[in-house]
Amino acid sequence: MIQYIVRRLLYSIPVIIGVTLITFILLNVVPGDPVLEMVGKYADPETIQQIREQLGLNDPLVVQYLRFLFNLLRGDLGKSFKTNLPVSKMIADTFPTTLKLALSSYLVATVLGVSVGIISAVKQYSFLDRSMMILALAGVSAPVFWVAVVAQLVFGLKLGWFPISGYYSFKHMILPAIVLGTRFAASIARYTRSALLDVIRQDYIRTARAKGLPERRVIFVHALKNAMIPVVTILGMQLSGLLTGSILTETVFAIPGLGRLSVWALSERDFPLVQGTVVFTAIVYILGNLIVDVSYAFLNPRVRLK
Amino acid sequence: MKRVLLVAVLVFAVVMLFAQAPKRGGTLYDYFTIDRMTFDAQEDTTLQTYALARLLFSTLVRYKGETLELEPELLAKMPEISEDGRVYTFELKKGIKFHDGKTELTSDDVKFTIERMLSPKGRGASKWLFEPILGAEEFIKGQSTSLEGFKKIDNYKFQIILKEAYAPFLYHLAVPGASIYSEKLVKAAGDNWKLNPVGTGPFKLKRHVPNTEIVLERNPYYFEKDLPYLDGIVFRIVPDSTTALMEFEAGTLDVVTIPVLEYDRLKKSGKYNIIEKEALNTYYFLMNMSDPKWSNPTLRKAMALAINKKELAEAVFGPRATVATSFVTPGIPGSHPLGEGPAYEYNPEEAKKLVAQLGNIGKVTAWQWGGDTLSQPNIIIQAMAKEVGIDLEIIPIERAAFRQARREGKVPAAYGNWWADIPDPDNYIGVFFGEGNQMSSGYNNKEVQEMIKKARVEVDPEKRAQMYREIEYKIIREDVAVIPLFHLKYLLATQKNVHGIIAHPTGITVYLYVYKQ
Repeated sequence: MIQYIVRRLLYSIPVIIGVTLITFILLNVVPGDPVLEMVGKYADPETIQQIREQLGLNDPLVVQYLRFLFNLLRGDLGKSFKTNLPVSKMIADTFPTTLKLALSSYLVATVLGVSVGIISAVKQYSFLDRSMMILALAGVSAPVFWVAVVAQLVFGLKLGWFPISGYYSFKHMILPAIVLGTRFAASIARYTRSALLDVIRQDYIRTARAKGLPERRVIFVHALKNAMIPVVTILGMQLSGLLTGSILTETVFAIPGLGRLSVWALSERDFPLVQGTVVFTAIVYILGNLIVDVSYAFLNPRVRLK
Repeated sequence: MKRVLLVAVLVFAVVMLFAQAPKRGGTLYDYFTIDRMTFDAQEDTTLQTYALARLLFSTLVRYKGETLELEPELLAKMPEISEDGRVYTFELKKGIKFHDGKTELTSDDVKFTIERMLSPKGRGASKWLFEPILGAEEFIKGQSTSLEGFKKIDNYKFQIILKEAYAPFLYHLAVPGASIYSEKLVKAAGDNWKLNPVGTGPFKLKRHVPNTEIVLERNPYYFEKDLPYLDGIVFRIVPDSTTALMEFEAGTLDVVTIPVLEYDRLKKSGKYNIIEKEALNTYYFLMNMSDPKWSNPTLRKAMALAINKKELAEAVFGPRATVATSFVTPGIPGSHPLGEGPAYEYNPEEAKKLVAQLGNIGKVTAWQWGGDTLSQPNIIIQAMAKEVGIDLEIIPIERAAFRQARREGKVPAAYGNWWADIPDPDNYIGVFFGEGNQMSSGYNNKEVQEMIKKARVEVDPEKRAQMYREIEYKIIREDVAVIPLFHLKYLLATQKNVHGIIAHPTGITVYLYVYKQ
């Protein structure tokens, strides 16, 4: 197992280098001068030239890229063009916020999604199943910003139960976590339901029932463990997505997370910050997928990690 | 009976007087939609950084209340100007302290500020503010190490000598980008300066939590007695305007920019103070005269006649918009009065005739500043053009790319807006149509560009104003280089207990006199 993890981590190095290279090329191909973004509407050509020189933007692209790569190997993501702050510090400042939002919405999504999926599968074609699946379909289809605004209006402005936006206390995190979590819960519920239905129809479940095991034991001990494999894949992918920031949710709820930082970096053409957030996102995705793969082995001993 | 009545009237008058008198204390909760991550107004020219600069720093002169008239801020009195209009003699107020309570403002700080902006090694984005000063050009190019046009007389007195007479120079000094910094404190802060500003303004920075909030507190050393009234201001970062409005209605924000669609509802509710104020801006459709297709004057005129500005303005901005007939916003010296400008009026029949004269010119192109889909104004402009037979294609271009193309003169045509930095026609006409302009107007009428140069340095205000009116007539009526569409008003709402907010025409909200009752 450890050998597998080490090998996967080694494989991820070329992936990260590839990601940085593609990002670097894209940033330089897409029109938009970072210095113009920095200095605004009135800057004269001399100022622009001077700043380009200071930032090393006049060096050949190969030199610029190798410099970035060399610094990256030393763990230095460089300094933001715009703020002069180390990129690693800016990411470290925003990541805990994103992490809190991700984990809390993940909790909502998993608990709600898996529970609804199980009930729906067990009570297949019942009124409860149909209404929950319609709700889940609505949840998947509704745009997140719309759900967010409705939640703010009802639970924030009208009922006053939660703060409308901002990031000051645990209370501020509840509404965005529910909004984001409910959305993911909808798709998790649908996956859980269909996976569980597949498993329930298999022979070993019939055998378990024939042995006279209580239905609860059949579902939770025998069926659910196997049904969770596709669900875990989805959960893993969603966790990686959540950890790299939910731009719309962070914008509507004014949460200072990684998603907003990435968008801001891009709109300001802050090259080091864009590169930094992209590398960080790549690492999160790689680790997320690795965790998912490792968890397969725990859920199903037939899966061998080689 | 009469005596009782008299006493009652007196008591009422006293109560009213106290009710109206500004109350000291309290915190104002306002918001920005984005965190610019800098407080350096020399480097960042956005209205947001400028609004913060007015709170953290001070300028030599400032606008008096809501007017466009200037008054001294850091100066003891308005500067004396020599007869030839080139030499300005200034005197600073004595004893002005920076936020640290120790460093005193002197003439050296003024010199340092100007040279920092012009420095070839710096990131001063608004060199234009000090470019009229003698020797500025050489200083920018690194050919001199000291600015020739700045003469220190003593710690509080100094002279600024201009290359040539330039009437609007004092307005330049009121722009927040010209805020005066402390030489000692800036040098001590080094790279950290942009996030740790120390000025002479009415408030000082207490806390900055990136992308969350900017918290200011009263500067106890502020040089104007009893000001500011507020203990502090909290600017939350709320990127979404709908969220901001909900926060305002929940009472957690004191001020909000009113979204157009919500104007009637908020006003009719009677629950808030509504501030409507004309601002120095013009929304326009600019056609690049060097573009192969737009270089045709008949096409440009047809386009000008095709746009129903009233309908466009009402559809997009409702009560916020006033139809424009000139490019220079009315109210500025040298502008045309509102409704009396030289712009063409909507005349689709005449436009159709011109289009017929053009023959088959095929598709003409305009760009849109950012966005994935066409904005409402662009959809309407496109439809209006189509109605008279102009096949106008509008392409959304990513903002940074648009900005670069504009600087290179490659934007074919675009709907856009201009918020003036100073109330002077040169800030519109010179910027867009002057020689070597970087607004992608492609303007190439050499005769008019010569007139612009002369008007810029004219000393006689009356004559200068007249010159600009003539220039604008030629640009809009004869060359049809730009189609002025409308001017926008500020629409702000505040909670009922908030008083004294000034929405200044330059686009900057003034908080100095704000108090909460």
